Amino acid sequence: MTPSDEPELEHEAAELVRPYVITNGRELPDDSDLSLITLVTVHQNPPRTKPLDPEKLRVMELCSGGFLSVAEIAGHTRLPVGVAKILVSDLTEEGHLCTRAPIPSAQLVDRQILEEVLNGLQARFG
Amino acid sequence: MTPYFQDPALWGLIAGTPVAAAAIIQSRKKIAELRKEKGELKQRYATLEDHYAEAVEEAKDRAEEATKNTLKAAMRTLQGLASEQQLAISKMQETYGERQFLQDLLDIDHMNSQFARRAQSIAVLCDGWLGRRRTAASLYDVVRSAKGRIRHFTRVEIRSQSNFAIVSRAVEPVALTLAELLDNATSYSAPETMIEINIRPVPKGVCIVVDDAGVGMNEEEKAKAAELLSGEGSRGVSSLGNPPQFGFTVIGVLAARYGFSVSVDSTSPYGGVRAVVLLPDDLLTSLHEPEESPAVAVSAPMPPEENPSGYPAPARAPAPAPTPAPAAPATTAGGLPKRRRRGAISIVPAETERAQDPARDSARTASAMGAFQRGTQSGRRSTNASSEGHEAQ
Repeated sequence: MTPSDEPELEHEAAELVRPYVITNGRELPDDSDLSLITLVTVHQNPPRTKPLDPEKLRVMELCSGGFLSVAEIAGHTRLPVGVAKILVSDLTEEGHLCTRAPIPSAQLVDRQILEEVLNGLQARFG
Repeated sequence: MTPYFQDPALWGLIAGTPVAAAAIIQSRKKIAELRKEKGELKQRYATLEDHYAEAVEEAKDRAEEATKNTLKAAMRTLQGLASEQQLAISKMQETYGERQFLQDLLDIDHMNSQFARRAQSIAVLCDGWLGRRRTAASLYDVVRSAKGRIRHFTRVEIRSQSNFAIVSRAVEPVALTLAELLDNATSYSAPETMIEINIRPVPKGVCIVVDDAGVGMNEEEKAKAAELLSGEGSRGVSSLGNPPQFGFTVIGVLAARYGFSVSVDSTSPYGGVRAVVLLPDDLLTSLHEPEESPAVAVSAPMPPEENPSGYPAPARAPAPAPTPAPAAPATTAGGLPKRRRRGAISIVPAETERAQDPARDSARTASAMGAFQRGTQSGRRSTNASSEGHEAQ
């Protein structure tokens, strides 16, 4: 091969910037801190910092329209979910984003109360 | 006089002189012959020596060529494998992205990148294959890619971003050059010190400045480095020294081949080495899609609901009157959480330019939120005004 030869177009190349560089070697956050359905939005008064990485900027853009779940952020940025979580937790710590725990699922009402209500209704209208 | 005639010594002398003269003449002849022979021998020796040196040089060249070819083929296989492995790792990261072992995958990815870089460096010395073709990439991403190819990458801090991008053919060479410089910088400085990268536009192009807080180099080392970096000092794989020193030789070859320059002759503000890579204008370009980082753009066709250019989808008209999302979870009288419409969640603002400045970003956010609120208010007013009694969401 002569020096003027160009790299060949054989297969697709993997991403130039690897995910561990995007996270800068940070550990994955605990699942308890951020779940797939934790909602995220931009902070009202973001701090003035040095320019954000393109990936973080993308997350900010995505979240600027309202609340977005962690799963959706990962989907739109096409990053592995864990990597998206690291970015979100980074941005939250820096004060760019705020997260909100998902709405708790409806608690099952005590069966006894339901039965009493039913009995009461039947006694009155039945 | 007469008595002398009786002297036998005289007769002896008379008889002896011609004999002696003849002997002298003969020996002189012999000496001359010998001298001539000696000269001839010397000449023959010299020719032989020349031939010998030539033969040795030829053998050395042949050996070098053979080594290069062998290594080139071997490295090509290794590079191909590393590249395949990288793709496989990428897919696994996507698949198992939410599991805890993503961490291990990221580590494996890191090791694989270092391995690929080694193979690439050797390939460069053998005039071999540099790797799969890349699309043009932003300078920032190329620097980050280089950062990912060394062991202690978390010690590298990129202090500035830039709007420049690198043309497709120079992406890998520049990334590899920077990776070799960063490898040197991390190897020759204390583990707790940082390595700083700054990107500076200059009249002739762009400079990438790498500063370390290491031990620096003495004049002799600097001279040797400058020779290697100019691309003239390299004599191939067999002259790398023991232990072999790849870095500057690889950089020298790449710089000469792709037309950029690298110098390490200045001192960093921290007392270590300051390495400067000067990329001329013809290796620079600008990206057509500045808001898409190539890391995303390469692998990521946007979801179908977004427009194919890769820009964030333009803000859709807000739904008639969605409740603004940030509110405490409301509950019904029976204590059940109220289901709220979340139609507006994935609205993203239309932005044609990447916002570099967080302050600008926040201003945009504020205006987007303001517009959103005005929309919902006007929506509510119009629904209230109509007496049709439609359900106002």
